[in-house]
Amino acid sequence: MTVIEVAGAHKAYRRPRRPPERALNGLDLTVASGGVHGFLGPNGSGKTTTIRMLLGLVSADSGEMRLLGEPVPRALPAVIASVGALVETPLFFPNFSGRLNLRLLAETAGVSRSRVEECLELVDLSGRADDRFKAYSLGMKQRLGIAAALLKSPRLLILDEPSNGLDPAGIKEVRQLIQRLGHDGRTTVFLSSHQLSEVQQVCDHVSILARGRCVATGPVSEVLAGQSTGDVRLRAPDPAAAKQLLEAAGYTVTSLGDAWRVHRATGPGAITRLLAENGQYLTELSPIAADLESVFLELTREQT
Amino acid sequence: MSGAIATGATTDPHAADLGRGSLLLAEVHRITARRFIRWLLAVSLVTYLVIVSIVGLTQFAKPSAAGLAHARHRVQAAVANQKAARDQCLKDPNRPTDQPAEQICGPDPAAGMFRVQDFVDPPAFDLQRDLPATAIAVGVATAALAFLIGATYVGAEWSSRSMVALLFWEPRRLRVMSVKLGVLAAAAALLGVLGQLIWLATAEILQSTRGAPTHLPAHFWSDLVAQEGRTILFVVLMGLLGFGIANLIRNTGASMGVGFVYFAIVENAVRVARPRWQEWLLTDNIAGLLSKGGYRLPVDSAAVSPGGGVVPGQPHEIFISNLHGGLVLGGVTAAIVAAGVASFVRRDLH
Ligand SMILES: Nc1ncnc2c1ncn2[C@@H]1O[C@H](COP(=O)(O)OP(=O)(O)O)[C@@H](O)[C@H]1O
Ligand SMILES: [Mg+2]
Repeated sequence: MTVIEVAGAHKAYRRPRRPPERALNGLDLTVASGGVHGFLGPNGSGKTTTIRMLLGLVSADSGEMRLLGEPVPRALPAVIASVGALVETPLFFPNFSGRLNLRLLAETAGVSRSRVEECLELVDLSGRADDRFKAYSLGMKQRLGIAAALLKSPRLLILDEPSNGLDPAGIKEVRQLIQRLGHDGRTTVFLSSHQLSEVQQVCDHVSILARGRCVATGPVSEVLAGQSTGDVRLRAPDPAAAKQLLEAAGYTVTSLGDAWRVHRATGPGAITRLLAENGQYLTELSPIAADLESVFLELTREQT
Repeated sequence: MSGAIATGATTDPHAADLGRGSLLLAEVHRITARRFIRWLLAVSLVTYLVIVSIVGLTQFAKPSAAGLAHARHRVQAAVANQKAARDQCLKDPNRPTDQPAEQICGPDPAAGMFRVQDFVDPPAFDLQRDLPATAIAVGVATAALAFLIGATYVGAEWSSRSMVALLFWEPRRLRVMSVKLGVLAAAAALLGVLGQLIWLATAEILQSTRGAPTHLPAHFWSDLVAQEGRTILFVVLMGLLGFGIANLIRNTGASMGVGFVYFAIVENAVRVARPRWQEWLLTDNIAGLLSKGGYRLPVDSAAVSPGGGVVPGQPHEIFISNLHGGLVLGGVTAAIVAAGVASFVRRDLH
């Protein structure tokens, strides 16, 4: 069963006195139920636009969309009860407490007050629930937004860059929460992110978005395999001597400021041995992960 | 108008216990929880009590028996005076004969022509005169309050963007807007009724503590009820107007600015430059709606520009009936509210 289906979606934002901004360019997207599905793309690639379209906040210029099998936006009134969402920043009334903000939403849909408390507990906000929303830190605001999205016990949970503004501890908690929800057997989490590492950590499947189109989709391990650069970062007590040795052995070496970048370092063991045999003991040798830009460059090049 | 949206989840045994949700209930909860609205109401009530106490204590006094006797005496003197003057006028041989005597010399003064209350000194509170006039003033104040509440109610929803968040729960935008409008209209009506009731109670207290004995004319209460009905309609319309403007421009402060510019600048400019257009100004139509039997507006013909259509030198009058006032006010409000709702229903939201 698929929870999200988008076929051939186009969207251009009209702007005064300027050409329209093309946000989506024939997007196709299929998200199967269960697990955590990453929606990965750099800033401005159209992630938020896609989510807004699915939720009926902006209208598509063309294309077909389905949520939980129902065509949207037409059937949105029927499916919305099973879809929880946090889009960009959480939208709450600043002078109401976190608890009151959630209760007002709960009343709208007939969700019980005990469920409100459960969700506050789930995001660890019970202790601060009576403080005004505007007094919350960015991370607390974000967590309240997640709590609001969870109120309905949704079958589909849509989170648009939920770790924005969170500190490292907060990011870790949110990621654990997402994984727990994604594997509870009934919730599918659709997680948009511009961070490759986040998707690698928490997602089972991923769809990669570039300039308003989906350029790759599938299990994370398959899609992102071979996307590491194969380069390593290397530091040695005598950098000049190390560079000389490596170049003599046929490696390409470039500067990273306080370290060297060794290109296409297929066997890190070989490098370590080579330098050690010549009296150079490494202080650092680490693989350089592919940054998102290079993954996109790679993927979009394949497309054309 | 219950916004139950539990349809999609009914087949899912794990779904949250989605009962019958109520957008209406949540909206009522939302408007009553707003601090600024509570604060506005509290400040208005305190201001009202202060003004009523000061005016009541300093401007009115209950006349003593001696004071009443003196006032009755003055009434008799006034009647006698008037009678003497009239007799003299009737006897005057030079009186023009082409017009009836009543028109030239005035009616035959009876005792009912002068009211004792008007002759007591210091003045007493006069239910017949002060109750309806001040009821209109209270209505205008509550209408301004309703405008402010309407504007801040929806303006803050836009600035906090919780208007958009609500659509994650009820995507039918027209329904969301209708419920908000309905709640605001009901709140404004309640405010209008409460304002009038509070004034009525105050007037009764003033009458019994600082009033002179009075005989109310036959239609006094029915006229008053009709006037209060129009006043409450006016309060509701102003609440909706505030809501409509703030919803259209999506900002509370800016809608106050629009209101200020209109009432302080546009209307005055029109009065000077195009006196005949006053028929369509909100203030004049408010006067038309509220005044008993409508509102007659003298147009200073000297100020009419050549294209204005009034022959210079001829006095001119614009008459605005209750119905005319209500229709203009209602029409303007409906147009602004409809424009805001249409834009909300159709536009992309971010
Ligand atoms: N309200 C808007 N008006 C005009 N252009 C917009 C608007 N929202 C987004 N865009 C543009 O649409 C493109 C996609 O934006 P968005 O969906 O927000 O991307 P993402 O969420 O992936 O960062 C960007 O080029 C952005 O500038
Ligand atoms: Mg975004």
